[in-house]
Amino acid sequence: MEFNLSHSRETTAASGGAADGDPMWSVLRSRALSTAHQWKNSASSNFTRSFCSSDINNIEKNRGLLSLNEVEKILTDVRADDVKVIPVPKHVDFADYVVIATGRSAWHVRNIAQALIYKVKQKQKGAKRMLLPSVEGEEGGKWIVIDSGPLVIHALDEKVRAYYNLETLWSTGSSDEEHTQDLDKAFVKVRPKNNSKKPSKASA
Amino acid sequence: MIQPQTHLNVADNSGARELMCIRIIGASNRRYAHIGDVIVAVIKEAVPNMPLEKSEIVRAVIVRTCKELKRDSGMIIRYDDNAAVVIDQEGNPKGTRIFGAIPRELRQFNFTKIVSLAPEVL
Repeated sequence: MEFNLSHSRETTAASGGAADGDPMWSVLRSRALSTAHQWKNSASSNFTRSFCSSDINNIEKNRGLLSLNEVEKILTDVRADDVKVIPVPKHVDFADYVVIATGRSAWHVRNIAQALIYKVKQKQKGAKRMLLPSVEGEEGGKWIVIDSGPLVIHALDEKVRAYYNLETLWSTGSSDEEHTQDLDKAFVKVRPKNNSKKPSKASA
Repeated sequence: MIQPQTHLNVADNSGARELMCIRIIGASNRRYAHIGDVIVAVIKEAVPNMPLEKSEIVRAVIVRTCKELKRDSGMIIRYDDNAAVVIDQEGNPKGTRIFGAIPRELRQFNFTKIVSLAPEVL
């Protein structure tokens, strides 16, 4: 899955280094490469987010908030169906990953949300100020969004998931393309068919 | 600056085309609504064959205003139109897709659902 990408990159870097010769040197280099890479990533995200006052807690986010693996584990523990992790395209700085999960009932959806928040609270136990993700739509139980900065988790009812169809929106990211297609169709001139003569032809 | 009697465009595919604000939700005697505020509106114009009809009363979130939006960074955002997204009592959007650019402040006002449906976040 997508979240393994960075791992595989590191390992390939390491193996490439090993091919050069001295193993010690290669390990060092791969490490340096990966750290540089991470630093670059974090720096770019810091920059893009610095406009947004809700993400001031950028530095603390890695400590307090959930990571992707933890979220996946919790979702499997509470038996959420059909979990999908979608990496957000680069040009959108709204989040890094969108996780979509289905619950079987309103209770189940709410339980998914509560399990995630419980985990965050456990993680930050003893901290002076807890940093909790914002939860939206908890009373309805149809669509709950847990917005923890770079990770946005959607827990949805089955029907609601089919209705909003978030996967196609995020995975293809082709909402613009659809638009242009519609426009193309709109601009093509279609000559109206003259049906008045048809029956006479058929009769003749 | 949205006040009662202001006409707004609809920025989603819910089936409404034009709204008129009739009340601002929040305080009792509030004069203007800005981006991220919830209003009560009446549908002035609707797309045919859709669940929402003309002269129906709905709730909506304002997503774009002609009045400029100031950020702490000094950035100022001003849109060409006043636009809103139709929501229900729970805050779920009625439509499934949102059109046009949306300011990221909506996320802080707890409308992440709308932001996650939007094609572009400013």
